[in-house]
Parts: sequence; C-alpha cells; structure tokens
Amino acid sequence: MSQVQTQGPTAATRRIDALAAVMRYSTLGALVALLIFNVLFTRHFLAMQTLDVNLTQVAAIVIVGVGMTLVIATGGIDLSVGSLMAISGAIAPIIFLNKVFNIGEIHLAVAVAMIVAVLLAGAFGWFNGWLITRFRIQPIIATLVLFIAGRGIAQVMTNGNLQPFKLDAFQWIGLGRLFAITDVYRGLPIQVAIMIVLVVVAAWVLKRSLFGRQILAIGGNERAARLSGVPVAQVKRWVYCISGLCAGVAGLVVIAINSSSDANQVGLGMELDAIAAVAVGGTLLSGGRATITGTLIGALIIQLVRYTMLANGVPDDVAKLAKAALIVAAVWLQGQGRA
Amino acid sequence: MVSISRRMALMATVAIAGFAVTAAMADGLPPLKQKATYKVGFAQTESNNPWRLAQTASMKDEAAKLGWQLVYTDAAGSAAKQVADVNSMIAQGVDAIFLSPREEKPLIPAVMAAKKAGIPLFLIDRSVDPNLAKAGVDYVTFIGSDFLLEGKQAADWLVKKVDGKGIILEIEGSTGSSPANDRKKGFDDVIAQNPGLKIVASQTGNFNRDEGRKTAEALLQAHPEANIIFAHNDEMAIGAISAIEAAGKKPGKDILVVSIDGEKDGLQAIIDGKMGATVECNPKFGPAAYAAAIKYSKGEKIPATMTNTDRFYDASNAAASIADSY
Repeated sequence: MSQVQTQGPTAATRRIDALAAVMRYSTLGALVALLIFNVLFTRHFLAMQTLDVNLTQVAAIVIVGVGMTLVIATGGIDLSVGSLMAISGAIAPIIFLNKVFNIGEIHLAVAVAMIVAVLLAGAFGWFNGWLITRFRIQPIIATLVLFIAGRGIAQVMTNGNLQPFKLDAFQWIGLGRLFAITDVYRGLPIQVAIMIVLVVVAAWVLKRSLFGRQILAIGGNERAARLSGVPVAQVKRWVYCISGLCAGVAGLVVIAINSSSDANQVGLGMELDAIAAVAVGGTLLSGGRATITGTLIGALIIQLVRYTMLANGVPDDVAKLAKAALIVAAVWLQGQGRA
Repeated sequence: MVSISRRMALMATVAIAGFAVTAAMADGLPPLKQKATYKVGFAQTESNNPWRLAQTASMKDEAAKLGWQLVYTDAAGSAAKQVADVNSMIAQGVDAIFLSPREEKPLIPAVMAAKKAGIPLFLIDRSVDPNLAKAGVDYVTFIGSDFLLEGKQAADWLVKKVDGKGIILEIEGSTGSSPANDRKKGFDDVIAQNPGLKIVASQTGNFNRDEGRKTAEALLQAHPEANIIFAHNDEMAIGAISAIEAAGKKPGKDILVVSIDGEKDGLQAIIDGKMGATVECNPKFGPAAYAAAIKYSKGEKIPATMTNTDRFYDASNAAASIADSY
C-alpha cells in the first residue's frame, strides 16, 4: 500500500493513520469478500481464464486510474480522459493504415502511430494543466472543455466512421502475451503487464520521489506548498500531462482488442469508471492523500462486481446500481476519516 | 403477459389504423403541404455503429438528391436529448420529422409535441409504445424492419443448422429498445418450442462491439458448456467472436455465432467461417422515408407500418453480397 502522509506524525495524523488503515483494509476486505462470494456461487470461477478475462477487462480502467489518482491527489479532477482515449484511438489507425502519408515499413509505421497517439493525448493533457494554472479555471470546468471537444476532434479526424483493421504488429498491445509456457500458461496479456508496470512506477513516484511529495503537498494545502517553494503550476501541468499520456495508452489498448476504432465509442464513460476506482480505492477526493494500489483494488472491485452480476444473470442496469452503492460507501468511509 | 398484450395492441393498432387512415387526417394528424422542396428533420438516436452511420448517410444523400434541406441531429444515445432535438426541429419550423426513437416510452413526448405543432412525424427503424401513441393518429407511419421476424429467422436457421440441439448465450441490444425487445421475443419464442435448445444466459451488450465482447467474455467463462451465441447485431457478434478466440475456442467450430444486421464486417466473418449467418436489417432508409412523405403530401393512403424487405445471409451468399453491404 502506498498510503502517504505529508506531515509528521502528530496526534491528528495518527488518528488519520488509524482510519487510513481501517479504510485500506475495508477496500481490501471488500475485494476478498467478493472473491469468496464468487468462489462459492459463480460457476467456473476458479479458473485461469476467469483471471484472464477480468484482468484484461480492468486494465484500461487501471491505466487511466493511475493518472487520475495523481490528478486527484493534487485536489483536481480530469474529466477529459475518455475523450483523450478517443483521440489517441482515432489518430493511431490513421497513421498505421497510411491514410495521410506513406510509411513503408509496417513496424516503423506502428511505432510512429503509437508514439504520436500517446504524445498527442499527453499534449492535450498538458493543455488541461495550462488552462487550470494559467487562468485559474477550476479543474472540473477546464477538463470539461476537452471532455466535450475532444470526442468532437476524434470524430472530425475520422468523419465519424469506424476504422477497422487487422494488424498483428499493432494489436500486440491488446492481444499479445508475455512469458507463455506451452500447454501450461497462455502468458501474461501485454495490457496487464503495462498496467502492472504503471502501478508500480506510479506508486513508487507518489511515495518516494520529490515529485510525489510535491503532488501531495499541493493537494493538502496549495498555498502552503507554494509558500514553501513548490513549483505548483509546473507540477500540476505535469500531472495533467501524465493523465493524458495514460489515457493515450488506454485508448490504444481498447482499439487493439476490438480490432476497430470508433471515435464515438472509445473511452465512453471512462472518466467515471476511473474516478469511481480512485474513490473506492480510498484516495481522498479533496486531495492530499492518495493511494495507487488502492486505485488498483478499487478498479478490481468495480470490475468484479460487474463480472459477478453478468455471470450470475443479473442485468447490467442493476450492476450499475451496485457500482453507485460502492462509491457511496467509499465516500461515507472517507467522511468518517475526516470527522 | 406484457408482451402478449403488446402484440395484441399492435395488431389492434394496425387494424384500427387501417380503417382510420382517412378519418385520422381529420382527427388531428397534421397534413403535409405539396411543395417542390421540403425542409425536413432527421432525429438520429446515436452514431455508435456502422448501421447507424449507413442510415444517416442514406438520409443525407437522398435529401441532397431530392434537393431537400435536412436538419440532422444526433441524440448520442440519450432519450432525453432526442426529445430536446425534436423540439428544436419544431422550433426551426421543419415541414416533416423523421424520428428514430431510442426507446419505446421515453420518446412519446416528442411524438406528441410534433403532432401538437402540426408537423407530420414518421417513425423510422424503431417504434414507440403502441399503447401510448398510434400510427395514423399521433404519427403518420412506422417504416422499418420487422424485428420479431428477424429474431425468428435467426432462430429458424439455427434450429435447422444444429438439428434442434444446443446451449445458447444471447447478447441483447440496448435495454428497452424496440429491436432488442422484439428480436429477443422473436428468437426466444422459436427456441422455446425446441426442448433440445436452451438459452442459459441473456445479457445486454448495448449494440456495440466493446461491450458485446466484454459481456461475451464473462458469459463464456460462466457457461463453458455453451456452443451457440446469438447476438442482436453484428457489431456485438464480432465482439463475441473476439471473446471466443480469447477463450481459446474456435468461432464457427466450437461455438456457432448467429446475428442480425448484415454489415460488411459481419459478412466478412461469415466468409471467414467465424459466423454462421446474419439476418439483414437494411439501414438505407432515405428513399423509402422520403417517398412516404411525398405520398402523404398527396393525400394518398399510408399504411400504419411499412416493412422493409430484408435478405438473409449465410455461407451460400455472403461473398456475393459483400460488395453492396455497408
């Protein structure tokens, strides 16, 4: 767990520490309870394939959730992630299908497509941070701009058309596997590997690095952080840029699995899933306290709830209600933490 | 039974509308003036799959061909926005409205608002609740495919193909939409008459590839004994094919996929041997929709429902038909 405090251990923070521990174990406890329920009641749950299905389905949420956790840790929010996924998902096929300019070598084309797509999403993220710091616009409004316009940009790029493709060199990011053992293990899906690497790196950054400390300091008390010399504007721009980069990667993963890119669909509703994962995971929505592993667990809980409902024949509408109930429970627990 | 009473109501509506076509015009159904060109509105429900895109293209192209002005809106999957879209068309003073209602009940206010504003409204591809609004009284007509028949055709083909034995997973369309309701009923009714066939799970994939795939992945894992997937449209069927492959099984061999729509990717899947069959649901509505409006302006009799003729695709004709697919 990368539960991080910004101040020294005073009496007040010790109390928060204790509550943080309760919260940490309550989210973990919820996950364990869900797993036990499934083992008992869901048919064919104890299988490698179940793990595979759930991990591949949750990967995109976690990848976006990592960036979202950092944003929320500064006391901000990023509503534009779903639209940035659509932009990244729209531009990549345009490049590797050689629609604009011809790159002969297919691997080179794929590499260029991936890099451009992710960097473009990162640049839009940077733009979010610039709006927020330069004009002091509230994050929810500033990122709303790209939430609306971003999907429009993606639709204009593709004329609103579906871009189908079949290209192993690219789809490797959604369908490829690592460490496969013949007849024993089909291998770790690439997007799950990306997810794990991102979680580990982000958890380390948040807990150990100067940048992580600065993020939490800004979220805890922005004015105090500025007065003590934290380059607030710069840190915030980087954080939104990282959120954009994460969204860019997630966009590529989603289109690779579906072997088609649909600007109207890619990342639709992702901002809500990511924020829900962060909230359920125990990150304080007002900033200053954040946990990346919590976000991972939060995302797993949300995914597992949906899987449980589907596998047991409960309609999707009810699954949405369950998701909402989880968020309410998480926020209530947070309220207890501040009381 | 809700569904039975609905069907009876529908039949009653058809019968009443049949008698009442001329009377209805006096009874509030707004007339359409004969003009050289019209300004018409098309309220699309969403643009999240090739079928919708093909439908929009057809409405736009045909309007351009006729020299009509088209006011186009896209509700982006929200029934509330679609009602607002229709109201804005009324405010813009269009001559006629073509509405593709997202859901059966929530779009009733839009139908009634158009009637009140004296603008004739045509329902295309999806219908509204026949207990709340009637063809020939509240709106001119419903132009579209027979979704019940589509579901039935898919089931009939399946029964023959698997010799009446199999375990089925059903991937439904958007909950509450008329194609999802009727395709399910048409399909399930036939399956119910075959004791060897059993639907073990039926869940929504919201008519799109990504959700279709995720739902299929979960259902395949919970019901590994299943050997048939019926999806309410091709996009979800293609998602389901990815799910089958991800589960290490062979689509078309271990698991038979049958679907509805007849889009290009669907026909390609049939050619590749991954999908068994698909029932066409033609999205090219432009010509039929505008022709109905012209007929109506001349005061000709318009039936309560105008059904498109749809083809059926399987391995025998998929390759020959893919060129003029969408």
